[in-house]
Amino acid sequence: MASSRDDFVIAIRSAFLKKTTKQKFSLLTLIFVSVFIIFLSNLNLKIIKDLRSVINEIVFRSSFIVSIPENFLINSYSKIIEYSSFYNDYELNKIELEDLKSKEISNKIIISENKELKGLIEDYSFSSNKILAKVIVDHESPFLKTIIINKGSFDNLKIGTNIYDKNYLVGRVIDVNFKSSRVLLLSDLNSTVPISITPGNVQAIVIGNGKNAGEIKYIKDNLIEDIRDQSMAYTSGTGSIYKSGIPVGKINNANNQFLINFYSDFDQLKYVFVEIDQEQETAAQTINNESIDIVDSANTEKIKLEILNEELKILNETNDKFIEENQFLRSQINDKSNKVLELQKKIDSQNKKISQSIIDQKELEFLRLNLIYSHKCQTRKLFSTGYKVGTQEYKDCVLRKGKKLND
Amino acid sequence: MIKFEQKNYIYKIYTFLPIIILYISVLNEFDLNYLNIDYFSFNFPFILIFYFALKEYNKFDYLLVFVAGLINDTVVGLPLGVSSFSYIVVCTFASYLRNITIRPHLIKDWFYFLFVISLINSINYSVLFLFFSYDLDILFYIINNLFTWLLYVPATLIFNYYFKAIND
Repeated sequence: MASSRDDFVIAIRSAFLKKTTKQKFSLLTLIFVSVFIIFLSNLNLKIIKDLRSVINEIVFRSSFIVSIPENFLINSYSKIIEYSSFYNDYELNKIELEDLKSKEISNKIIISENKELKGLIEDYSFSSNKILAKVIVDHESPFLKTIIINKGSFDNLKIGTNIYDKNYLVGRVIDVNFKSSRVLLLSDLNSTVPISITPGNVQAIVIGNGKNAGEIKYIKDNLIEDIRDQSMAYTSGTGSIYKSGIPVGKINNANNQFLINFYSDFDQLKYVFVEIDQEQETAAQTINNESIDIVDSANTEKIKLEILNEELKILNETNDKFIEENQFLRSQINDKSNKVLELQKKIDSQNKKISQSIIDQKELEFLRLNLIYSHKCQTRKLFSTGYKVGTQEYKDCVLRKGKKLND
Repeated sequence: MIKFEQKNYIYKIYTFLPIIILYISVLNEFDLNYLNIDYFSFNFPFILIFYFALKEYNKFDYLLVFVAGLINDTVVGLPLGVSSFSYIVVCTFASYLRNITIRPHLIKDWFYFLFVISLINSINYSVLFLFFSYDLDILFYIINNLFTWLLYVPATLIFNYYFKAIND
C-alpha cells in the first residue's frame, strides 16, 4: 500500500518537476505562470491592457497571414458555387435594383428631412461617418462569435462602435487595439440588442443563439400575438448601445419560438462598415456656427433640389415608358377589335345558313308528309271535309299527318 | 517511406513540424468550422499536444506550447492564460501517464485522453462562466469533447507515420 502511494507521488513529482535536457521550464512553473496571467487579465490593469493590445496586433496580423491559404481555398470554392448560379442571381438582382433605386430616392428625402428636423429639435446633431474595414480574422468559432477588423483606436474606433454590413447591423466593437478591433457579432450568446418589431411596434430584446440567428426574449406575453411571421426588426435605440432604426433581421416563428434571421450573413463577411460619430454644433450657439449653419441649410436645400431633380428625371423616364406601353396596347386593341368584327360577320353568315337549312328541312318534311297524307286533307266534291290545296289549313293538316281539327 | 539526410534543412523543419502545425492550428483554428456542420467542432491542439507530450518528443518544448496557448487566447478572444493553462495541464497528464505506463496501449491512452479533455473542458467552462461571466453553450463543449476524443485515434495513426519517418 505504502509503496503504491510512493509510486504515485514519484510519478506526479516526475510529471510536474522533471525537465528533460531540451525543456527550459518545468510544467509546474508553467502552470503557475498561466494561473498568474489569468489572474492579471482579470484585474484590468492599464499595463496589462497595453501589453495585450500589442500581442493582439501581432497575433491578428500573423493569423491573417497564416489563414491566407485556407481562405484562398474556401473563397475559390464559394466562387465556383456563385458562378454556377450567376445568371439567375443576375436576373433577380436586376429586378431588385430597379425597385431599390426608387426606394433610395425616397430614403434620401427622408434622411435630409430627418436631419433638418433634428436640427430644429436639438442644439446638436451627429453626423455619421462610415469607414470601410476589412475582416482580417474570422474563424467562425462555435464558442465565441467574433471577428477581427483592421481598424482601431487610430481610426477613432471606441468600445461600442456599431458595425454594419451595407446598412444592416452586424455587431459592436468590444475590444480596441491601435490598428485592429474585435467585433462581437449579433449571433453570439453574449450579444443583446434592444429592438422594435414592425408592424405592431413591439419592443423586445434579441439575444444571439450561438449559431447564425437570434432569439427574441423579454417580451410581454400579451404582445406575442402582435408579432407576425416575417415581421421586420430594427434597433430601438434603448440603452444607447445601438443607434435606433438600423435593420436587424426578419422574424421567423418556429413552433411558438420567435427567432430572428439576420439580414446579414455573418459567415460571408469580408468587409464591414464602421460608424464613427462626429458631434456637430449648430446655429444656436455662436455667430460663426450661424454662418456654418446657413451654409449647411443651403447645402441641404441644394441636396434636396438635386434629389428632387433626380426624382423628376426618373418620373419622366417612367412616363416615357408608360406612353410607349400605352401606344403598344392601343395598337393591340385595334387589332383585336378588327378581329372581333370579322368574326361577327362570319357568325352572321353562318346564322343565315343555319336558318335557311332549318326552313329547307321543314319544307322537305312537309313534302314528304304531303305525298302520304294529301288525300286525307284535300277537298272532295261529295264530302267536303278537306281543305283547299295551298292554304295554311291544308298545310297544318298534312303536318298533323291527315288529322283534322274536328277529329 | 521518406528518408532524410541528417543536418539537412528540410530534416530540421521536419523535426519541428509538430510545433509548426500547433502554431498554424492556433493561429488559423483549422477545425473545419467553415463547413457549417451543426455542432461539429474539435480541438486539434489538444490531440497534438497530448500525443507528443506522451511520446516525450524532444523538439516539443513546453514553453512553446505555453506561448501557443497565449496566441490561441488572443485569436479566440478568451482571457489570456486560459488556453495556456489547459495545454500545460494536458502536458502534465500526458507526462504522468508516460511515467506510470510500462507497456503503452492505444486504447488505454485513448480513454485516458477522454478523461483529460473532459476535465480540462469542465475547468475551462467553470472558469469562464464563474470568473469572467461568459455566456457559453455547454452542448458545444460536450460535442467538441466528443469529436476531439473520436479524432484522437486517426490522428495518432498519422502521427505514428511521422515518427516512423524520423526514426528511419
